Amino acid sequence: MTQSEERPCRPEPEVSRVGAPFWEAARNGKLIIQHCRSCNENIFYPRIRCPKCHSDALDWIEASGKGVIYSYSVVQNNAPSGFLADMPYVVAIVRLPEGVQMLTNIVDCDPDSIHCDMPVEVVFRQVENFDLPLFRPAGNK
Amino acid sequence: MSRLKGDVAVAGIGEVPTGRYPERDCMDGCVISAVQAIADAGIKKDSIDFVIPCGTVFSSAYNSDLVTSRVVEELGLKGIHNNAQVFSGGASSASILKVAGSLVESGIARNVLCVHSDKLGTGLSGQAGIDLFAYAGIHREWEVPFGQHYSSIAGLVTTRYKHETGTTDEQITAVQVSNRKWAELNPNAMFRKPLTIEEVMASKMLSTPIRAKHSNMLADGGAAFIVTSAERARDLTDTPVYVLGSGGRVTHHSLSQEADLTRFGYADAAADAFAEAGLSPKDIDIAEIYDSYPIFELIALEEMGFVERGQGGAFFLEGRTWPGGELPTTTNGGMSSQGHTGGGGGVAILVEAFRQLMGKAGERQVPDARFAAVSATGGTYVDAQIEILGNQIS
Repeated sequence: MTQSEERPCRPEPEVSRVGAPFWEAARNGKLIIQHCRSCNENIFYPRIRCPKCHSDALDWIEASGKGVIYSYSVVQNNAPSGFLADMPYVVAIVRLPEGVQMLTNIVDCDPDSIHCDMPVEVVFRQVENFDLPLFRPAGNK
Repeated sequence: MSRLKGDVAVAGIGEVPTGRYPERDCMDGCVISAVQAIADAGIKKDSIDFVIPCGTVFSSAYNSDLVTSRVVEELGLKGIHNNAQVFSGGASSASILKVAGSLVESGIARNVLCVHSDKLGTGLSGQAGIDLFAYAGIHREWEVPFGQHYSSIAGLVTTRYKHETGTTDEQITAVQVSNRKWAELNPNAMFRKPLTIEEVMASKMLSTPIRAKHSNMLADGGAAFIVTSAERARDLTDTPVYVLGSGGRVTHHSLSQEADLTRFGYADAAADAFAEAGLSPKDIDIAEIYDSYPIFELIALEEMGFVERGQGGAFFLEGRTWPGGELPTTTNGGMSSQGHTGGGGGVAILVEAFRQLMGKAGERQVPDARFAAVSATGGTYVDAQIEILGNQIS
């Protein structure tokens, strides 16, 4: 995730009111998701109201940090400006055992070794002023 | 059950060539295609009472002009009661037809001019186009920071689809070849030279397994059509095209929130549309399927019931969708060959369905076509929209 001086920076998350606690936890190396006290639903990304029952009784729980790759794609050319210096990089949708899905990047491995349904674990990496939740192959310390 | 079936029709169409036309103003596309549609319908311009301009992506200033009735002024339309934009990205074609049809059915409007123009080919630089499509419709907190953009979106969907169905890159690429076969016969298409699988597979990798020639090409273009009652359409023209059925499903906003990347909502949307029309896939003569990337054309064709899941790639590869094939598919060449004009990519495919059913498709006319199924989808493939059309009432 190096950044060339001449290139535009990676875009930072436009932090929402309800998303702010997520990014604060990420700064402390914790992956948290919302939990609805009313209907027991786990929720990601953070919502203003529970998308299942519309309750505002939303708590945060810490996720296990484990997941599996639902799908992935290795960006090799024609990336958005802020990502040109990062090519090749891996965009992936990861399914967490808590029942939610998130978009992320897969890091710390050869892109050719990645496959669908591969077990992965969260790792936080600082990009600009944020710690982004990225994933690497499980057990790959 | 009956909603618009048999009561609403399209009486005329217009279209300017799609491609890179730096000398053409965006408004040229609107005005010229609208004038063509009005002439094609044989309608007096002042009997149009409602204008629906589709949203334009390349310039928010130009889009403001559309919102504030510039088309009405440019065309000197004196009988307009309302000008109201309808926009749902690539699915705008379906939304505009549903809205215009409902206005006519309810009696709020008599004759609706639906018009689109965009300038994505020459109105934006290449990198500006890439960057626009790294934001448009992509969640700015949860997806943009990870480098999501439309090539990676197509890559994610294609990767999972291949994993679940065993479909090969060659079979997926066959969609591009099929679309090009049709574009070779389409004077309004951007790319008309023959295309081979080898050529696509030799083009540079963008986001695995999507290569440059799997991608649509941003383009300038414009198209228009006139929606009116079935009765007035029959008075105006010998070639009315009837709206017979429609269906739609919205499944997500952010691609990462989609539960099934290999299906989306096409099956349910198509079931509704076919039920309303009283038809089934075997009755359909032409499938006008929204592409933008080959995987979406493949998934839609399968989920709509034209071919079994996992068999779509072979269906394209065997030429069964080509000119002369058993199911002529995306007969304008789609966004990969006719060009991608933003919300207009779907409008061009819808107008092509009207054109075929009117018998006005020239060299690529599908003989004796009676019924067409049309798909559209917007944003990060957030929805599946299906329209069933016919030149007779089913």
